[in-house]
Amino acid sequence: MSTLPFVDSATIEGELQRLWQETAETATGGQAVTRALTLNLIARATDPAMAERISAVVRDLVASHPNRTLLAICRPEDGPPRIDAWVQANCLLSAPGVPQVCGEQISIDAHGAVTAQIASLILALLAPDLPVVLWLPGPAPFDDPLLPRLLGVIDRLIIDSRDLSNPVRDLGRMAAFDRDPGTPSGAARRAALSDLGWAALTPWRELIAQFFDTRPLLPHLRRLDQVDIGYVPVDGRPDPLPGLLVAGWLAACLDWTPLEDAVSIEGAALRLHLRRPAVGVGPRAIRLVTIIITPVTPAADAAPGLATLRLRALDGVAADFQVQRADEQGHILTSAEVAGHPPVRRLTRCVAPSLADLLAAELRLLSRDAMFSAALQTAALFAAQIERLGEAIEP
Amino acid sequence: MNDGVATPLENPLRAGLRLWRTPEPCTVVIFGASGDLTSRKLVPALYNLARERRLPGGFSVVGFARRAWDDATFRQVLLEGVNANSRARPVEEALWASFAEGIFYHRASFDDPAGYARLAARLAAIDATRDTGGNRVFYLATPPEAYPEIIAQLGAHGLNRSPEGGWTRIIIEKPFGRDLESARDLNRQVLAVFDEGQVYRIDHYLGKETVQNLLVFRFANGIFEPIWNRRYVDHVQITVAESLGVEDRGGYYDRAGALRDMIQNHLTQLLTLTAMEPPVAYDADAVRDEKVKVLRAIQPIASEATVRGQYGPGSVSGRPVRGYRDERGVAPDSQTETYVALKLFVENWRWAGVPFYLRSGKALPRRVSEIAVQFRRVPTLLFASTPVNDIEPNVLAIRIQPDEGITLKFSSKVPGQAQIRPVTMDFRYGTSFGVASPEAYERLLLDCMLGDSTLFTRRDEVEASWALLTPILESWAAGPAQAFPNYEAGTWGPAAADAFIARDGRAWRRL
Repeated sequence: MSTLPFVDSATIEGELQRLWQETAETATGGQAVTRALTLNLIARATDPAMAERISAVVRDLVASHPNRTLLAICRPEDGPPRIDAWVQANCLLSAPGVPQVCGEQISIDAHGAVTAQIASLILALLAPDLPVVLWLPGPAPFDDPLLPRLLGVIDRLIIDSRDLSNPVRDLGRMAAFDRDPGTPSGAARRAALSDLGWAALTPWRELIAQFFDTRPLLPHLRRLDQVDIGYVPVDGRPDPLPGLLVAGWLAACLDWTPLEDAVSIEGAALRLHLRRPAVGVGPRAIRLVTIIITPVTPAADAAPGLATLRLRALDGVAADFQVQRADEQGHILTSAEVAGHPPVRRLTRCVAPSLADLLAAELRLLSRDAMFSAALQTAALFAAQIERLGEAIEP
Repeated sequence: MNDGVATPLENPLRAGLRLWRTPEPCTVVIFGASGDLTSRKLVPALYNLARERRLPGGFSVVGFARRAWDDATFRQVLLEGVNANSRARPVEEALWASFAEGIFYHRASFDDPAGYARLAARLAAIDATRDTGGNRVFYLATPPEAYPEIIAQLGAHGLNRSPEGGWTRIIIEKPFGRDLESARDLNRQVLAVFDEGQVYRIDHYLGKETVQNLLVFRFANGIFEPIWNRRYVDHVQITVAESLGVEDRGGYYDRAGALRDMIQNHLTQLLTLTAMEPPVAYDADAVRDEKVKVLRAIQPIASEATVRGQYGPGSVSGRPVRGYRDERGVAPDSQTETYVALKLFVENWRWAGVPFYLRSGKALPRRVSEIAVQFRRVPTLLFASTPVNDIEPNVLAIRIQPDEGITLKFSSKVPGQAQIRPVTMDFRYGTSFGVASPEAYERLLLDCMLGDSTLFTRRDEVEASWALLTPILESWAAGPAQAFPNYEAGTWGPAAADAFIARDGRAWRRL
């Protein structure tokens, strides 16, 4: 790692080249060092601590997505105008005899007014002909000045809805970005939106979907009446966002339509009201579905996020499908109890994915995640009504 | 439905990009459950699938064997097997406890009709308590001699058909026959009881990621297919080398030999995937149709186009190794080959005149499998006046194991000097994708439960490959005895194999 005296893109490129040459020369034990790049990842930090956290995640990412990381540390309020930059290789520890794979990282630390110039420096440093992804961790990604400047070149914007300062309000901004990112007209690509909070729900969605891969149980999916979603609040602060996304997902998959008054608030619980086609009654008959999102009282060491997810058909043949945390060591209990079938329970493993895992999962997608879009739009509709109700949800 | 073919399930929750289908709850019945394959490969694979949430609740395993075990003993044996062989070790206690609730032991001998009647009752009971819906996979992990008996008994007790609404499939391990005649017989016996759509002839090589990637590599890239033919390819070498000897399989191996044990299945699969035309669709029958066409286009292989070898004492990786004839279960004057090299031609428009060299052997220096496509040499006129008169041809090598990947060798100028040197471009699975490749058995078991037989061998495929190789076996048997052993353990096979390829002006790749 070396700090550069002058910061311009040619110097940085030169420094990178020197770094690779050095790495090749000092490679020990006759092991080749392989530089591999599959994408450009632009990550923005607002202080050195955040930059360190991002660097740690990026290092883990080399295994699955070796990349050129451009880490922009933007500190407009901090000190006289100055830009520092340094380069480093992010290498995987390798087994003997196996070549080492490395990605590369360019860190740019901008203070004061020159922070506004950082986008132009980033543009000059992108590795050509590779996808460009912008990762904006933190509470206010949509207000970040980098976003409009880079919108014309990025393929994907990655945020984390779990970090948002006001999740219910910001759900609307996510949905708006997803509908129209505001890409300049004539740009070659339209940025897709990824949410690490949504990615974290994948195992839960998977376990719910699994119940209905069994043919005899599939029909019950069309007769659900009630969904109960329990979540562990973040630092005691209620955050129904994962629940809203799951509700949006189920609604999108199962043709559930939110009623006009789709939301009611009862204490800490949110009730969502939807209608679905009634089964076997005639083409226009409908039935109501209720989704209840409730904070649960967690065990002392419980991580925030979903804790239980329960789908029930109450009318006629009773059917009850549950997925719930069994412990805080990453085990989940699933159970299906359907009249006329023996109850089936099983314990399975579902360790909470790390930030690097979530990021890797999003980077694997090459196109827009249409299911996420659909879930997001419906979830945003609920969120808008919650906002209108203007009531804070009591913890 | 009981023809074993899956109808697509329209589970609306599976819409989208990330959620993969899981099979329906089913019971896997393993015949030969006390054997090595069960605890070394099958159950670790099933445990890993369960651990990664790829199996549904209710999934069950029934072990069928003669040994006087009960459920508890069987579970304990399997737990030890998983602890020793799983890629996720050690086993998580809570997970195993939940998984093991669905593991049962059924004590019976393969030829006892009452055992099958009890099995039928037991499976019905599992359906009733674990909601497995009458879905069954029978896995024949027994010595091949037992296959006909088991298959006939399953048929006699109606176990070839599931109760209403379920499906029944059968997985048959290699070797599938020992020549054309016996393979046909076995097919007849199987198909008298099961429909072809229910039959999954397993070749674990097809479960390996690189083997599956071969089709993606060939047909999802624009730059390879145009040169993948006789105009540009000089020859193809397919190698499956094992560093181990026959270990404790001497009794079986001495009756089989390398041609039956490796060439007929694994190398033939690699050959057909390398040489086949693009299928019209990526589905089971379209892919296998093209593979069969390759086999049909291969000219009969004369025994002069083959080289046999058998290893004598030597050392592999610094450890002394006994000669083959000294192995347990092997005849002291055994004529069984532990090494085969052969040359064949695929006589179709794409490949006419391009030799394919196949070689496989035991007790070779390293365990390595690869397919190498060597392209034609360039005319060297341009560089004739420089000291580079031996420009090496381009080679595209697809490594199956140990570390899966693809390399391309091409020539490059040495900086500052008028010299040309071969360099390689290297793509490794382990480095471009951080995800560990699943074990071949995991993929194949899951495919079978999902009703996808693309990666299994079809009846005509297995017969076509035996039709090709049986004449070689016959001419070897009719010919004079060989002066075995003819290569030292830990070397790259008999000298005759080097001379054999050298006659064509070529050489084996150094691996």
